[in-house]
Amino acid sequence: MSLIEVRGLKKSFGSLEVLKGVDLTVEQGERIAIIGGSGCGKSVFLRSLELLEKPDAGQIFIDGQEITAARGGQVDRIRRSMGMVYQRFHLFSEMDVMDNLCLAPVLRKLMTREEAEKKAMGLLEQVGLATRAHAWPTVLSGGQQQRIAICRCLMMEPKVLLFDEPTSALDPTMVGEVLAVIRMLAKQNMTMLIVTHEMNFAREVADRVLFFADGGIYEQGAPSEIFDSPKREKTIAFIRKIKYFTFDISEKRFDLMAMQGGIQGFVEKYGIEPDRVYPLQVCSEEMVVDFLNHCFPDGDAADVHLEISHADADRSVIIQIASGGKPYNPLEESDNFLAVAIIKRTAQRTDYRFEQNRNQLTIVL
Amino acid sequence: MTMKKILEGSKLTVAVEGRLDTLTAPELEQALEPALEGVETLVFDFASLAYISSAGLRVLLSAAHVIDARDGEMKVLNANKDVRNIFDITGLTDALGVE
Repeated sequence: MSLIEVRGLKKSFGSLEVLKGVDLTVEQGERIAIIGGSGCGKSVFLRSLELLEKPDAGQIFIDGQEITAARGGQVDRIRRSMGMVYQRFHLFSEMDVMDNLCLAPVLRKLMTREEAEKKAMGLLEQVGLATRAHAWPTVLSGGQQQRIAICRCLMMEPKVLLFDEPTSALDPTMVGEVLAVIRMLAKQNMTMLIVTHEMNFAREVADRVLFFADGGIYEQGAPSEIFDSPKREKTIAFIRKIKYFTFDISEKRFDLMAMQGGIQGFVEKYGIEPDRVYPLQVCSEEMVVDFLNHCFPDGDAADVHLEISHADADRSVIIQIASGGKPYNPLEESDNFLAVAIIKRTAQRTDYRFEQNRNQLTIVL
Repeated sequence: MTMKKILEGSKLTVAVEGRLDTLTAPELEQALEPALEGVETLVFDFASLAYISSAGLRVLLSAAHVIDARDGEMKVLNANKDVRNIFDITGLTDALGVE
């Protein structure tokens, strides 16, 4: 049987349905990254596996035992096969590192104090903190405390580790040391479910990535499938984190200053590199004006739509111009050779097509 | 866009400030037409020019034709990095006397 099996898991908070019937099977040794926007239910899902959130419906089996049907001490016994690492480290501040690590296994009579100390030292050595065994948690950095918290989970010899955004409460300078520990565990074939915002880490460490949206697993696949060629709309939007600027033009005498001001504001608002402003403005102006001059020869009415998108993931900036009127490819047919030179020498790539009765020009910067 | 013209003998210096684009280039064109009368040396001072598009380049090209026709000299001075890049990628740096 699979190490974790979840069937039809549902959870609501009041009228808010967070999990709408999630099914998941996790095999021994699998490393699963769970990603998704804020409030998508990924942390609630993880916490439900330990019954830290009580599901409204559904079944959860851990190593063949149904935790959702367990009662009293049985729940604790099943829980013991899972270790949870939280955003915050929750170390006991009145105990030193060694006492923090030995507390649970000794209290639960899983090992003697001596055995526990021996195991703790072994783990501290693995995470590079052997010299801090008798330090107080308050003198340790956030990254060190989180590494201790991971050791504390490992003391109980869990079959699966659950990480709930283990690096999101850390100063960015300390993220790397915690990720290094998780990487090390991955190499040891530890079964792990990791809720994370660290996309590069997820790509590197996970065998499978679950993208949560709409109350469940919206799309899942190998990291290369989810990060490089996501299939579904919300996954694509999340992975590329696309931001848009749009500007509609219905008259040839349009407000160029408003368009250029809008582009400037877009770049500033989303922290896009300031040196992108000029190429964006000049390419937009050249092509919008060229479409207006050629596709709408009579009168002042026009129909041109400008859209600029920016993807955080690869920092690409894409200008798309859709124009009504006759089929016209400015990059091939324009008599404004200066405009065409500006586009061709500024763009990484251009694409023109006439689709749905509209000219569609794409300029990738 | 604002411009300032200084005529010293047959040398005209035109300092352009702001943006030279589809909207404002026609203003410069209109202002230059009478001003080029008798000018043999034309200098554009672009120290305060923030932006130029092909519409602005076309005005400069026509001015260059006028000056060339009378064997005069045209120069573009003090262009910022972005504006200079537009001259470079359109291949007009030499033709317009960009320094």
